[in-house]
Amino acid sequence: MTRRKRTARLILGLLTFLVLLAFAFPFVWMLLASFKTQSQIMSTDQLLSFKPTLANYTSVFGEHDFLGYMINSLIVGVGSTAFALLLGLPAAYAIARYHLHRLGLVILVARIIPGITFLIPWFILFSQVKLVDTYTALILSHMLVGLPFIIWIMISFFEALPKEIEEAGLIDGCNRHQVFLRVILPISGPGMITASLLSFIFSWNNFMFSIILSGEKTKPLPVAVFNFMSYAEINWGALMAAACIITLPVLIIALLAQRYVVNGLAAGAVKG
Amino acid sequence: MDRKSKRWLSAGTAVVLAATLMAGCGGNDKNGGAASPADKGPGGGAAADKPFAGKSISLVTANHPWADAIKPLLPEFEAATGMKVNVEGYFEDQLTQKLTVQFTAGSETPDVFMYRPLQEGKLFFKNGWLQPLDEYVNKDADYDFADLSKSAVGTATVDGKLAGIPIITEQEILYYRKDLLEAAGIAVPKTIDELVAAAQKLHDPGKGMYGFVARGQRSPLVTQVSSFLYSEGGDFMNGDRATINTPEAIKAFTTYGKLLKDYGPPGVLNMSWPQAFGIFGQGKVAFLTDANSLYKNATDAEKSQVADKVGFAPFPAGAAGSKPYNITSWGLAVNAKSRDKEAAWAFIQWATSKEIVLKTQEKGNPGARASVWDNPQGTTGFPAELVEVIKMSVKGGVDHDRPTVINVGEARDAVGEIVQKIITGEANIQPVADKANEALQGVIDLDKNK
Repeated sequence: MTRRKRTARLILGLLTFLVLLAFAFPFVWMLLASFKTQSQIMSTDQLLSFKPTLANYTSVFGEHDFLGYMINSLIVGVGSTAFALLLGLPAAYAIARYHLHRLGLVILVARIIPGITFLIPWFILFSQVKLVDTYTALILSHMLVGLPFIIWIMISFFEALPKEIEEAGLIDGCNRHQVFLRVILPISGPGMITASLLSFIFSWNNFMFSIILSGEKTKPLPVAVFNFMSYAEINWGALMAAACIITLPVLIIALLAQRYVVNGLAAGAVKG
Repeated sequence: MDRKSKRWLSAGTAVVLAATLMAGCGGNDKNGGAASPADKGPGGGAAADKPFAGKSISLVTANHPWADAIKPLLPEFEAATGMKVNVEGYFEDQLTQKLTVQFTAGSETPDVFMYRPLQEGKLFFKNGWLQPLDEYVNKDADYDFADLSKSAVGTATVDGKLAGIPIITEQEILYYRKDLLEAAGIAVPKTIDELVAAAQKLHDPGKGMYGFVARGQRSPLVTQVSSFLYSEGGDFMNGDRATINTPEAIKAFTTYGKLLKDYGPPGVLNMSWPQAFGIFGQGKVAFLTDANSLYKNATDAEKSQVADKVGFAPFPAGAAGSKPYNITSWGLAVNAKSRDKEAAWAFIQWATSKEIVLKTQEKGNPGARASVWDNPQGTTGFPAELVEVIKMSVKGGVDHDRPTVINVGEARDAVGEIVQKIITGEANIQPVADKANEALQGVIDLDKNK
């Protein structure tokens, strides 16, 4: 009995490892390649055993000022998420509590329309008010996706909260706004974290809006990565080093926040 | 009903109010609104020798060694003219994307930009986005426009008008492994038949050695098969007629496809130049045909394990002789909506002058000026052997390397289809070629209505 259990566990572990290997391989390759020279990357004999070099990372931070691009991405990501929360939370609350589902649908449509259709009108508008290559333009454009995202996640979250909590607040002398600010928001942490996380990751990875609306001053990471590809040369090592650097913050945030999301969800399941 | 619309109204008002609030905040975190430089009129004491004092132009480049070479020279130009040049650089596909959106939106910027005459030239020009430069080039006799290679200028010409000024030229050449040829006692192939025979002899897949490699991906291969096509006496089109199903064309496509099928490494269908040069640099292939502009991928010890064993040869001759493409891969053009075309032209005139082309060419950027190629100093940026090959290739070259249409993408797919079918072993190629020819004809016919 115990032996059979043990072999079963072993097989399961082995299978898990195999699946993990298949899924993680691109990331492992990316990580390995970021420590190789161009000729080592191209060679299949040196897949795992090679002499590591840090040259790619020094080139990414030294010659290419990736720190600057990172700050750009951070400003736009945090900015667009913060403003989307500011607008989205009250909007989602109103839609959830007053059943404004048609309004909700209209907001969703903005998310369904392919982003590229907005680009030309945006470029015309932003260039007329001279906002191209400013953080304002990037933050506003990234909100197009972040805002509906936050609204839609929060609608279902707010709808799931029992009405009784609000009623208790009203009886204790709060008005509607105070109920929202003092009662609803403090228990909405998990929903807010999930929503802002997704909104931030979208902004962090966004390429299309950024390439058109950014410029030398505001270039974010996904656009800057292409610095390593030129007409007659692709610098794979540096490209992979840059890719690692882009992936890392998102990975860390996701791992950290995951705990809160799970904890919070359990805590949010309110006793009533 | 009434209550419902009230709810709509209040929710809508809330959103609008919040949006205005936020737009206000957004404006504060960067003084973007007031960032525009004073570009109207010369500032204060503009001396006569600084004709553009106080003006500024924007220049958008590709990620290209030419851009790296020109940037350090800009301060000199700015000091001489008083003009400020703002530079931005993008990867080539992004550049096209960004320029297309900007021009569609009728943007006045950038004033000057790098573009690929054969890829976007026709589209940009026919949309009226490029300023024809014919009347500018002969204004200054010192500029010596006739010094630019005819073939290169031909590439940058659309409907008889000069759409841009060539800055980078390239030709297709044959790369080979000196050590392997020497060991096997084979002479450097001078004809396509000799190339096929030599590739066959050196092909030994059991030992991980392959005879020949080139691009096998559908669209990228088109430019590299073009030299085979011309050397066999064919072309993609003749006037308004598609000609990729003629006997010459089929012979050329079959030679190229069979070289890859019979003597190529595995996975060649997924190879563009990075993969082809990658495997060549691993020392696993004897011959490679591709653009000369990529030579550093084969001769740089950082990227290639056979860096010191690579030889260069002119493109081998077919029935019609050796006719590689000899094209302008990058040009400089002026935005038709630019607010200051005089300043834009002044920049191009400087950047493509004999003196500056000499400086950029010394850094390995093959330019279009004959006088610079004849100047010994102008060839110091290249291996001596390559210089000889380039000088020979320029003589018999053809001024395009893909069908010259507006919708280049579709046209390339049509041609690539035929070659890929040959690589995958299709024996009866005529029907495939006929069908592809029809597709190409469709693309050409669409152009005529514009």
